[in-house]
Amino acid sequence: MTARNRILTAVRRGLGGTRRPPAAIAAQAAMLLDDPEFIRPALVATTLPEAFELKAAVLGTTVERVASMDQMSGSVRRYLAAHALPPSLALQQSRDLTGLDWSGIETHASIAPDEVAALGIAVRGIAESGSLVIRSGADKPILLSFLPLHHIVVLRADTLVAHLDDYAAIMQGEAQPRNAILITGPSGTTDIEGSYVRGAHGPGFLHVVMVGS
Amino acid sequence: MTAPQPSFKARTDAALADRTLKLAIDRTTDTAERKRAGAVAAFPQFEAARARGRAIKDHVIANLDHYLEQFERNATASGAKVHWASDDAEARAIVTHICLDANAKLVTRAKSMLGEEIGLPHALADAGIERVETDLAEHIIQLACERPSHIVWPAMHRTREQVAELFKVGHHPPPAADDPATMVQSARRELRVKFMSADIGISGANFLVANTGATCTVTNEGNAELTTTPPRIHIVTAGIEKLVPSTAHAFALLRLLVRSATGGELTQYTTFHCGPRRDGDADGPHEMHIVLVDNGRTRMLADEFRDMLRCIRCGACMNHCVVYRQIGGHAYGGFYPGPMGSVLTPVLDGLAASRDLPHACTMNGRRAEVCPVEIPLPTLLRAWRRRGWRSGLENGLPRVAVGLWAQLARRPALYRLGSRIGVRALRLFGKGGWISSVPLAGGWTRHRDLPRPPGRTFMDQYRAKQGRKRGRP
Repeated sequence: MTARNRILTAVRRGLGGTRRPPAAIAAQAAMLLDDPEFIRPALVATTLPEAFELKAAVLGTTVERVASMDQMSGSVRRYLAAHALPPSLALQQSRDLTGLDWSGIETHASIAPDEVAALGIAVRGIAESGSLVIRSGADKPILLSFLPLHHIVVLRADTLVAHLDDYAAIMQGEAQPRNAILITGPSGTTDIEGSYVRGAHGPGFLHVVMVGS
Repeated sequence: MTAPQPSFKARTDAALADRTLKLAIDRTTDTAERKRAGAVAAFPQFEAARARGRAIKDHVIANLDHYLEQFERNATASGAKVHWASDDAEARAIVTHICLDANAKLVTRAKSMLGEEIGLPHALADAGIERVETDLAEHIIQLACERPSHIVWPAMHRTREQVAELFKVGHHPPPAADDPATMVQSARRELRVKFMSADIGISGANFLVANTGATCTVTNEGNAELTTTPPRIHIVTAGIEKLVPSTAHAFALLRLLVRSATGGELTQYTTFHCGPRRDGDADGPHEMHIVLVDNGRTRMLADEFRDMLRCIRCGACMNHCVVYRQIGGHAYGGFYPGPMGSVLTPVLDGLAASRDLPHACTMNGRRAEVCPVEIPLPTLLRAWRRRGWRSGLENGLPRVAVGLWAQLARRPALYRLGSRIGVRALRLFGKGGWISSVPLAGGWTRHRDLPRPPGRTFMDQYRAKQGRKRGRP
């Protein structure tokens, strides 16, 4: 007998009784998510952008709001200058970003292991937890979000959803990427005596430019 | 898998004598306890969420065969290869074969307790493969050649000063200072090279999502993605109890897991891996393997320990355990320490090798209160004690003492007389409200104080009260 059969046989023997039809199991599973407002935290503000901003701030994510994509590159310039960073940026090769005016900043597609700053786009934002959703794809390298010390992320306000389960409902109907990540704050660790230090392996700084509202 | 080691008593004596250890444990558990309390207070729905979390896990376990097959189908459709392992040896063999077939020289690993449980670190070393632990705490204990002492903070037993000593020798160049921030930066530099040159990345899974075939891992450092993205091959090892029906169910449990573990609301990185790199993807491994491990879990499912399969490995039970906080994780001797470990270790190592663990508990009920999936830990520990008793593992003094007590308990008049003498005698050794030493019981009182009993037994006080009531008009 293969290990697979051994395990499944042992599970069925251990559970005993007749097995229920998949439809009945699915119905019960769905019921376990009923009345979601009783098992999740309420939003901390009345609008999604405000709630997102408040939650993001708790873990040290900084947020700047701009009215339109045109104002994006200006905001990124201000960020680099405020942190005294060189005018250089690993840029996600999305037309939404490469099409902007980056004069005065050297942009590149490659991501070096010691990259100082990178700019990418979040697929969505989640207001409940102040999380950004990023996904792997042709123009979406995962390492763009992990190698740099400063990670700057564009978040369109109209992609915000209220709760984690709202995001789950949306992604359920979509093709699954290899990797989907909820990013909730800059990288951190409490592994030495429980004291919190930022920038453990991933970015020590997470800056969100929220576009529109 | 547990190597021969000193007796439990010898291990606890050594741990209790180690003041630095107590200091290190207190520094982390105090913060963890405070932060968890804050997170729960800020989440008024916690109790309802906890009941639902428990129901989700019970539902999965009751339909585990269905969810295992559904997960296998969807993971396979995503391009991942699913392997099944009945025990630790099979799991080790599967992982080592994948590594050797790929001619891997360097493997990075993101923290996984299951990896420890199946003995992966040794197996890789035996196969001549360099293993680099990437979680900061795992990196610390790899440098110290130790095992994790906690399931969330594996290096909890090490003080900042001790970590500084390890990094001074293990990092090239050594860190410039020994404050946590400088040491974390040093580890970041040291490990970055390894991330980028690894052949294979191995991670665990907090959840296996049945209806997408994805595995879900949570980290705060970002080491999981750096472990699983650059190499050619990604291997996930996971226990079969990690299944959830859907991503939404995973989120319902994550709200409980993170608050209970670190007092945060969500970890910095919640990552879902679903198959290998797609055509045209900018990065990611070309192969993904998922090893589903039984190793005693189907045995638990069939007996009174089924409730333990709900465990989501948050570590709250150890942070809140008075015994864990005195002796730390290593003294328990198993891969999983603290109260949850005292239930699991007898499953993994056999009760004969670990019969002291179910007794290393004051049964104060604290950890059952904080458990986010309502595991009745005291009941399960008592079940092991009962088995130990029935199978004759408890011998010598305890058996004689309980025998004598049973004789006494069957004779109420004698029992009451005995307790009257007992409480009065005990009072003689008390100072203030506490008794800190009793002749012939130094082994017990050296590390514990006993509340000084009142001068009269419960029965005497009860009678007096009833008498007064009756005396009233």
